[in-house]
Amino acid sequence: MSEPGLRLVPAQGPSDVDALLGRVALGDSGAFEALYDELSSAVFGLARRVVRDPARAEDVTQEVFLEVWRQAARFDRGLGKAKTWVMTIAHRRAVDAVRRSESARRQETRVVHQEVTAEEPVEGLIQAEEHGAVRECMETLTELQLESVRLAYFNGYTYNEVATLLEKPLPTIKTRMRDGLIRLRDCLGGK
Amino acid sequence: MSTDLHTLSGAYVLHALSDEERAMFGQHLEECQACRDEVRELAETVSRMGAAEATPPPAALRARVLAAADRQPQLPPLVTPLERARTRRRLTRLAFAAAAVVVVAGSVFGITRLQGHNEPPVASPSVSQVFHAPDAKTLTVPTANGGRLRVALSPKSGRMAVATSALHPLARQKVYQLWTLHNGLATSVGLVHDLRGGKVMPIPASGTKVAITVEPAGGSAQPTTRPIVEVDPAKV
Repeated sequence: MSEPGLRLVPAQGPSDVDALLGRVALGDSGAFEALYDELSSAVFGLARRVVRDPARAEDVTQEVFLEVWRQAARFDRGLGKAKTWVMTIAHRRAVDAVRRSESARRQETRVVHQEVTAEEPVEGLIQAEEHGAVRECMETLTELQLESVRLAYFNGYTYNEVATLLEKPLPTIKTRMRDGLIRLRDCLGGK
Repeated sequence: MSTDLHTLSGAYVLHALSDEERAMFGQHLEECQACRDEVRELAETVSRMGAAEATPPPAALRARVLAAADRQPQLPPLVTPLERARTRRRLTRLAFAAAAVVVVAGSVFGITRLQGHNEPPVASPSVSQVFHAPDAKTLTVPTANGGRLRVALSPKSGRMAVATSALHPLARQKVYQLWTLHNGLATSVGLVHDLRGGKVMPIPASGTKVAITVEPAGGSAQPTTRPIVEVDPAKV
């Protein structure tokens, strides 16, 4: 029972995920289960957003966690947070899956473009703690920054393709991706 | 030129570079600490963007993943016995440069390694590099059989090293074996064949101790004797 007026702060945080991954590295399958419970929604949600097909998103999620299990002992804490590591694997795997088999989608580039620039209703989205802050911060980006980042991150386009889609010079897109992310980083830094 | 390359950091963390550009930027990262820092931060930023999309997967996936992991062997930690560095002293510099490339690739979390290629042989810093790291904390611990174990931790690089040169020499048919101990579970880190050497490993998670036992030559799957020394990395 929590005391009235006492706000319960979930005992979750990057450091917990780091500790879990450390135990996974030692072959602790209980820790692996806990890690799955902690991160599977984030991994699956990202995979689904990128590959779109829920069944394939499940496959990607499985690949990601197997990779995490296999590589856990090689994760280098000096290089960043465990959660970031897992999400980076997830994004890479999702993007690879899209690039492997959805070249057909690329032929309808204008359609995709419109679909992305429209404000997307994200159905089935749980209110992740982060969600509000991320969305708020994404709104601080310029339209071109936002589109460049989203087309690459959520649709798996290379920056070359993004430049073609948005009909902008390559250096512009390259720069907008970077300064967009920097703005996002600075905005999220305070949240 | 480097200013131009530098601006690829955004596309890099978004996985929006071609393989060629990715490799090129990877090389650039090796020489550019500021870029590595930026890439680390931006990778965290995009990871938060991804996490904001969280949706619970179907419940059945959990059992599938856990069962699959059960059948999958884990890769061993990156451990470099010092004897290798000694016998190949000339190669060390080269190997370390190669390691730096891998580590840098790893700074965006081993992306190239995660594409289903075979695992490249990855070198890690040598024992002496950990001991001489600017942030190294060291400790010397007596062992139950009259030797001493020296331990160094470099939190910045996330590495722990043990130097075994002051351990008591063993009879030929015995060997020192290094373990991590967590909740009564012992996991072998490796054998110490040459006492002049040592081992480097990632700093174990909190609550995990590092121990050495004397085992029959060839080592054991689980410790067969009481450890001659146990070190809690948190107390170094």
